[in-house]
Amino acid sequence: MSLTRRNFVLGTSAIAGAAIIGAPRYAHAAAESLRIGWLAALTGPSSAPGIGFDRGVKFAADSLNAAGGVKGRKIEIVTRDTQGDPTKAVNATQEMINSQKVHAIWGPTNSGESLAVTPIMARAGIPNIHPCVIDTLIDTKKFPNAFRIAPSNGQWDDAVRAYCLKVLKVKKIAIIGDTTGYGVTAVKACVANFKRDGADVVYSNNIDATQTDMTPDMTRARNAGAEVIVIWSVSTGMEARLFNARAEMNWDVNFAGHPSMASGEIRGLLAKPQNWDKVYAVGYRSCSYGTDGKLPAKSQEFVDKVQGKVSLDDTLFWWVTAGYDAVNMVAQAVREGAGSSKDIIAYWNTLHPYAGYFGNYTYTAEEHNGYPTADVVMSAANSAKHGTFLLAPGYV
Amino acid sequence: MLGSIIASGLAMGAVYALIGITYNTMFATSRVMSFTAGQLGMLGGVLGSLFMLKVGLPPWLAFIATLLGCAVVGLVTELVAVRPVLKSLDQHLYVLSTLALALMIQQVTAIEWGTEPQPFPRLFNVGSGLMDEKFWLPVVACALVVLGLEYLYRRTLVGMAFLAVAEDNFAARALGLPERRLRVWSYVLAAAIGGIAGFASGQLMLAFFANGTLLNFYGFVPVALGGLGNNRGALIGGLALGLFQQAANFTVGGVFSSIAVFVLFIVVLLAVPQGLFGSATARRV
Repeated sequence: MSLTRRNFVLGTSAIAGAAIIGAPRYAHAAAESLRIGWLAALTGPSSAPGIGFDRGVKFAADSLNAAGGVKGRKIEIVTRDTQGDPTKAVNATQEMINSQKVHAIWGPTNSGESLAVTPIMARAGIPNIHPCVIDTLIDTKKFPNAFRIAPSNGQWDDAVRAYCLKVLKVKKIAIIGDTTGYGVTAVKACVANFKRDGADVVYSNNIDATQTDMTPDMTRARNAGAEVIVIWSVSTGMEARLFNARAEMNWDVNFAGHPSMASGEIRGLLAKPQNWDKVYAVGYRSCSYGTDGKLPAKSQEFVDKVQGKVSLDDTLFWWVTAGYDAVNMVAQAVREGAGSSKDIIAYWNTLHPYAGYFGNYTYTAEEHNGYPTADVVMSAANSAKHGTFLLAPGYV
Repeated sequence: MLGSIIASGLAMGAVYALIGITYNTMFATSRVMSFTAGQLGMLGGVLGSLFMLKVGLPPWLAFIATLLGCAVVGLVTELVAVRPVLKSLDQHLYVLSTLALALMIQQVTAIEWGTEPQPFPRLFNVGSGLMDEKFWLPVVACALVVLGLEYLYRRTLVGMAFLAVAEDNFAARALGLPERRLRVWSYVLAAAIGGIAGFASGQLMLAFFANGTLLNFYGFVPVALGGLGNNRGALIGGLALGLFQQAANFTVGGVFSSIAVFVLFIVVLLAVPQGLFGSATARRV
C-alpha cells in the first residue's frame, strides 16, 4: 500500500483527534477524586455542631490528601450548607446524588434534616453515615445504606438508666421532659425502661420549655420522694431554671440526662455557678478525662495530632473526632477495594470494629447502630475543658 | 407554695396585662388586633440583653435604647401591616398581615440572636427568694404604665385626642384631629409598652426568641377576658390569669396547666362573650 499525502494527512489527523478526545478521559479516570458529600448546618441557629464536625472533616481530607490520597485518588469534600433546614438538606442531597455524583454522604447532623433525606439516599443507594440520634433513622430493611456513627437516643437512655441504678444506686426516679415531640417520646420511653428494670418512677411530666418558674414541678418531684431527676430536653433555658429552682429549694438531688445539660450556654443562665454541681449529662468515654485530668491514650493521640491545626477550645471533642472518623471510614472502604457505592456499604457491613477516635464502630448487615453502648457514659456537666468533660463519679 | 404562687403568678400576670394593654393601645386607634404585641414583649427582653451584655450600655441607657428599638418596630407595624389593610377591616386581612410581620420578627430574631435563651442581667440587685427583683419588677412596671396611661388619657390633650379617635374616628377627623398621625403615635406608644413588659420581665423570661409566641397567646387572654379595648379589664384579667396559671402549675402541673387556663378562658367567654368588663355593643340592622 502506497502512502499518499492524502492518506498521511487523514491518518495523522485521526490519531491527533483520538488523542485529543481520548487522552483526558484516561487521565480523568486515573485520577478520579473520591467525592464525599457533606451535608452541614454551617450557618444559622443550629450551626455549632456543624462547625465542629466540619473541622474534623477538613482535617481528615487534608491529612489524606497530603499523604497522596487513597490509592492515588484525592479526597474531594462536596460541602453544602443546609442551615439546619430540611428543605435545603433535601435540595442539597438531590444535587449531590444527581449532579455531583458523590460516592458517599456524611450527614446531615440533626435528626429533622435526616428524617427528610434518609429515604432519598436509600432510593439512590448512596452510602450514608450520620450522627443523628432518633432511633427510627436506622433501619437496615428500609435504609440499608444508612449507618449511625454516634449513639442512638435509646443508647443514651440506657447509659442514663445504668448510671442511676448501678452507679448512683437510686430507685426512686423523677423524669422530666419538655413538650416537644422529642421530649414527650423520650420521657415515655424512659419511664417504660426504668419500670422494666424495677425502678420506681415516682414522678414524670412534660413541661413547656418557656415556663418561667420550675418550682412547682420540682416541689412535686421532691414530695414524691425522688432521689434523682432525669431530664430529656434540648432546652438549655428549661434546664438552667430547673437547676436554679433546685438551689432555691435547698435540695441536693442529682440531675442526669440529655447532653444539652452540659452546654456552655447554661453557665450564663445560672443564678450561681454552683447550681450546676451534681448535674451529669450523657457523654462518651473517648471524650472524658479522669480525676487526674488525663484523656484516654487514643484521644490524647488525636489531641496531639491536631495541635496547632484544629481548634478544640470552642467546640466539642466528639464533633471533631466524629467528622474525622466519618471521612476516614469512606477512605478505608476504598482502600480495601470498594469501587462502587454498593461496595462501600458492603464493606461497612463487615466492620468489626473500625477503630476510630470517637469510638470503635461495629456494623453488620443487620445492625447499623455502630457505637458501643458501653462507651456512652455520664459526664460532670460543668467540667468542660477543650471540648471534653470530667467522667462522672462512680466509673472505673 | 402560696408565696410562690403569689410572687410568680403576679409577676407573670403583670407581664400578660402589659401585653394586653399593648393589644388594646394598638386596637384603640385602628380597630386592628395586631399580633405583633407578643413579639414586642420578646424584643424588649432580647434588645435589653443585647444592649447591656453585648454592647455594654448601662441599664438606663439600654432601657431607652430598647424602647426606641421597639418604637421603630411599632412604627413599621403601622406602616407595613396595618395601614394597607385599614380600608377592608371587615375582611380581617389584618390577621394575616400582622401575623406575617410577627413571624418575620420572630424568625429574624432566631437567626440573628439564636434559638437558645440568653441571660438578662440583674438591674437593681435588690431582693432575694420570693422578694427577688425578677418577681416585683414586672409588677412595678405594670403599675407605673397603668398610672401613666391614666394620666395621659385623662389629663393631657394628646391623650384625649387618642380617646376621641378610639371613640369615633370619623367624628374625630371631622373635628380636625390628625387621625393618621395619632394612629401612628398610638402604635409607637403600644410598642414602648410591649418593650417595657419584655425589659421588666427579662430576668424571669430570659432573652429568648420563642417568648413572642407565648406572650401573643397569653397576652391575648386578658384582652378577651377583660373586654376588648378596656385597659382596666386587661390589668385585672392579666393578674388573674398569672395567679391561676401558677396555681395550676402547682396543682395539676405540666401541659395540664395550659389546658386548665384555656378551659377557664373558654368558659368565661361562653358565659360573658363581651368580656368581664366589656360592654355589649348594639349592632345596627
